[in-house]
Amino acid sequence: MTFFSLPHVAGNCLRRVRELCLPFVLAGALVSSPALAWDAEAFSVHGFGTLGVTRTSSDDVEFVRDISQPRGARSHWSGRTDSVFGLQASWRIRPELEAVVQGVTRYRYDRTFKPEIAWAYLKYDPTPALSMRLGRLGTEFFMLADSRLVGYSYLTVRPPGDYFWYLPFYSVNGADATLTVPLGEDVLRGKLYYGISDGKIPLADRQWDIDGSPLMGTYLEYQSGPWLVRGSYANIRFNSNLPIARDFYGLAPGVMTTTEARAALDYLRTDDTRSHYYSFGLVYDSGPWQFQLMLNSIDQGSRAFESSRAGYVLAGYRIDSVTPYVGYSHVDSTRRTSPVHPAVARVQADSRAQQETVILGARWDVMRNLAIKAQWDAIRGDTSSIFPYRRERDDWNGRLDVFSLTMDFIF
Amino acid sequence: MSRRFLRLLPLLLSLGAAPSVQATGSLAVVVNARCGVAVMSRNEVINIFFGRYRQFFNGREAQPVDLVDGHPVRGQFYRRLVGKDLADINAYWSRQVFSGRMQALNKVASPDEVMKWVAANPCGIGFIELTKADARFNIVYELAP
Repeated sequence: MTFFSLPHVAGNCLRRVRELCLPFVLAGALVSSPALAWDAEAFSVHGFGTLGVTRTSSDDVEFVRDISQPRGARSHWSGRTDSVFGLQASWRIRPELEAVVQGVTRYRYDRTFKPEIAWAYLKYDPTPALSMRLGRLGTEFFMLADSRLVGYSYLTVRPPGDYFWYLPFYSVNGADATLTVPLGEDVLRGKLYYGISDGKIPLADRQWDIDGSPLMGTYLEYQSGPWLVRGSYANIRFNSNLPIARDFYGLAPGVMTTTEARAALDYLRTDDTRSHYYSFGLVYDSGPWQFQLMLNSIDQGSRAFESSRAGYVLAGYRIDSVTPYVGYSHVDSTRRTSPVHPAVARVQADSRAQQETVILGARWDVMRNLAIKAQWDAIRGDTSSIFPYRRERDDWNGRLDVFSLTMDFIF
Repeated sequence: MSRRFLRLLPLLLSLGAAPSVQATGSLAVVVNARCGVAVMSRNEVINIFFGRYRQFFNGREAQPVDLVDGHPVRGQFYRRLVGKDLADINAYWSRQVFSGRMQALNKVASPDEVMKWVAANPCGIGFIELTKADARFNIVYELAP
């Protein structure tokens, strides 16, 4: 019995962005599916997780995985930076139709490990060349961004920070379509996605709610034997301002008048500004060798943030069950000069990044589906490079060594 | 499950100690003979078994089947095909599965079940020891030791 039509409900979800809709979309699809025969093989549950500890060489800043984390690691071992657990259930309703739900718990914007529904979507593959998804999806602003939490799937302890710090977007409510075209023995793949952001970004003691901000993106990739090359573009249009109004209106009139505060806030407006993300990735994966080169450029539409460029190279070589790796990453942002007010300049300086990191580590595949990793990140940067950190102190000298130990597993 | 693990343990240990002891002869990638696929290149085989593309050159949809991790032929197949350890293969699939791109291939427990699968699906494709192949299958690619 079908009480509602699937396209209608899905459309409403996209418009209204209510996460509660998603279960109804899934339920609707199941109800309207002609083949409801229960088949144990069509249902599967898998999981992934990381138990990790991290410490740094300094108490002047807190080290975070990306800007979705409000607090980070200092000179004492901390488990919150990298520890994560995810569970995914999928149901193949028909050969070409599949429902997937993934729940994830990790240290998040509100300083808890509260579990979230990371994905919940229907996937429809009408032909081997075309795949479409509808529901709550992962975003792929940069290559590998949608599997950032699955430590077992990559070589390093975490995706290189200089490259990924800027990316707090994990889930969107929306749709995507992927087209795969064979060219001889090679494969050309293109993807388009659109969705409504669903997330909060922690800022000092507050959270910036970017719920409802529309984002879209596309990529084109070419796969030839062990080589994979990809170019991508994405943008997000923020639909709210930074939660800084109170601070500006709270300043003493001698420092800033109400009129000046209003002008400053308008100058730092994020509402209705669009940020653009460009990236290029090259991966070589053959035999014992793994090699990655990634470059990105982020063009911030709001004057509240500095635009940035980042890149990394990473190489690993497997020797029996151990894969040592070495990497180098770099990020720098373009300084903004504000004519408005020193308080404005301070907000802008908060998004400054100017540093490089040498990464050294090893992954040891101890047994089936379980890996242990140890890594040393040597971060060398300018004292003004504070965007990637939390709770920086005046003594911050831009140098930080990060030591990490993780155990990654899948089942 | 733990009993199965115990049974496999000597096998795993011997694999680690002296891989050559367990190495079988040639492996064959076989396709259901009715599918109309006579031969494939290494990259075409890789495309199918890594889920990069699910169609044969003749336009028919491939129905690949994999072996469970514990079976030694699985490790040999991927080592010979792409020179990679099973940990790398499983890491690759964990990225595909948990990013929501695709589900892992169907897995069966033994080469005999692979043959059953390939014979039962009009465009089934799997890998077995070459000596096991019979007239129901086309040997589309061979992997020598």
